[in-house]
Amino acid sequence: MARSPLPVWRLITTMIVIVLLARMLVFLIQTPNFEWGVVLSYLTFPSIMHGLLVTVVITISCTALSILLGTPIALCRLSPVLALRAMGGGYVWLFRGLPALVQIVFWFNLAYLLPRISLGIPFGPVLYSWSTNKVITPFVAALLGLGLTEAAYVSEIIRAGILSVDRGQRDAARSLGLGAWKTFFLVIAPQAMRFILPPMGSQLIGLAKSTSLVSVVATSDLLFSVEVIYSRTFEVIPLMLVACFWYLVIVSILFVLQVYLERRFSQGREESRGWGPAWLRGRQRPAVVPSVDLG
Amino acid sequence: MSGQARPPVLRLRGVRKAFGSELVLDGIDLDIYEGEVVVVMGPSGSGKTTLIRCIDQLESIDAGAIYLDDELLGFEAVGGHLRPMDERGVNAQRRRMAMVFQQFNLFPHKRVIDNVTIGPIESRGLARADAIRTARLLLERVGIGDKLECYPRQLSGGQQQRVAIARALAMEPRIILFDEPTSALDAELVGEVLEVIRELAREGMTMVVVTHELRFTREVADRCVFMERGRIVEVGPTAQVFGNPRSERLRALLSELQNPIAQDVDVGNRRSLR
Repeated sequence: MARSPLPVWRLITTMIVIVLLARMLVFLIQTPNFEWGVVLSYLTFPSIMHGLLVTVVITISCTALSILLGTPIALCRLSPVLALRAMGGGYVWLFRGLPALVQIVFWFNLAYLLPRISLGIPFGPVLYSWSTNKVITPFVAALLGLGLTEAAYVSEIIRAGILSVDRGQRDAARSLGLGAWKTFFLVIAPQAMRFILPPMGSQLIGLAKSTSLVSVVATSDLLFSVEVIYSRTFEVIPLMLVACFWYLVIVSILFVLQVYLERRFSQGREESRGWGPAWLRGRQRPAVVPSVDLG
Repeated sequence: MSGQARPPVLRLRGVRKAFGSELVLDGIDLDIYEGEVVVVMGPSGSGKTTLIRCIDQLESIDAGAIYLDDELLGFEAVGGHLRPMDERGVNAQRRRMAMVFQQFNLFPHKRVIDNVTIGPIESRGLARADAIRTARLLLERVGIGDKLECYPRQLSGGQQQRVAIARALAMEPRIILFDEPTSALDAELVGEVLEVIRELAREGMTMVVVTHELRFTREVADRCVFMERGRIVEVGPTAQVFGNPRSERLRALLSELQNPIAQDVDVGNRRSLR
């Protein structure tokens, strides 16, 4: 282990952190209004478990929707075709510009605008139509409002990632006679992932928390289930703590996933472990070269 | 210069290319024959790099024509008219050439062996095992046989460029285009890359090399092209171009070799140029 030039500073920082943590712990334990007993008793309450499930399902579906929609939008914005660039740019302008909450309420009330949703050829025959109120459930409204907003942000993250890959990589791939799809999936995308994953992690963690917005259209998500209980029992703080606990659990899982994916896509790169004075960074570990049998 | 009787591997006729209002290539005519090494020199901005990028169809040309083995590059005749080829056709033509870049442009997320096999497997459709076998031989040939599983970033610049040459050779190209292959290298690493190119020349590989390495040019190039402002101002057998430079710029460039600053770059040339 490399010796720090100033071990005394390392010691002092550590002491300060320990004192602050200790004070925090005492506050959490000694404040009776936290009502930890109540927190514990509601932690796995059936309606809260159901709310948690709804929140997780919305998070996963919106993530999928935002990536499936955001990738083509990013590619549109990078297209040489003006119409596609304009369409992509217009999408981002509109859906990044409107608050997710406004969109959720708008989609939920879509029936006032369009009583029936129909599928058909533009300016041509209608193939099929549905009653809007049957299609747009609170869940679907939440999915559309959050997913479409998220797709706008995700497309910008993906676009930035693609732009970060050196132009020479595309030249080299094309020079080898690789087609556009192979160039994208074998050469550009794996390298863009390195730039996409860190902001994407933050974005999806933000999404997981934004799902709490759907409680406004009476979707029984985690926050809504908690609100239902405390409006009856008035145990606001402990029930909020229950919600906080589960949000942190979801976010922690996403965080671990992000770290794993970042490792997976940093192949061939020696990432620096951070910056700042050596005593803050700690020990540097040598990069490990993965060894794979060539067969 | 063998095979003059046969049609050239590469034929350029009146090639023009403009970036915006700037004419980068202004009517280039050039024939390159089988087994020939042609070095392209010229001041920066003279269009050397654009020339070989146009040959590899990384840039489109505005006028003129380029033929590879008598096949027009980038265009096909449809009903008596020339039409730009679709991507599939262009890629099929690119597979018959290979390019080595100034900045190597290895794929940093792939191991050395995968950098060399990606072209044969994904582009030429070779079986994985065959591609790996060939790639190993090629990497041994360029002296990287012991670094198959390294990532490009773990290699020196000279080693990276040699991997890039192996990647080009793996395409079994009719012709290899080198775009200033040693310009991004530290001085002490230039030699090992030039030695590999020299070896390829000895084996009869057809090559177009854009470079500033004058001694290398004098030793290896069969013919020498000097460009200025998008035109070829001198072309001919290397000894003739070096021995009797007609253009002002080339004369100035060659006389720089006699000046003490350039001494360590190219000691060998000084005597012969007098």
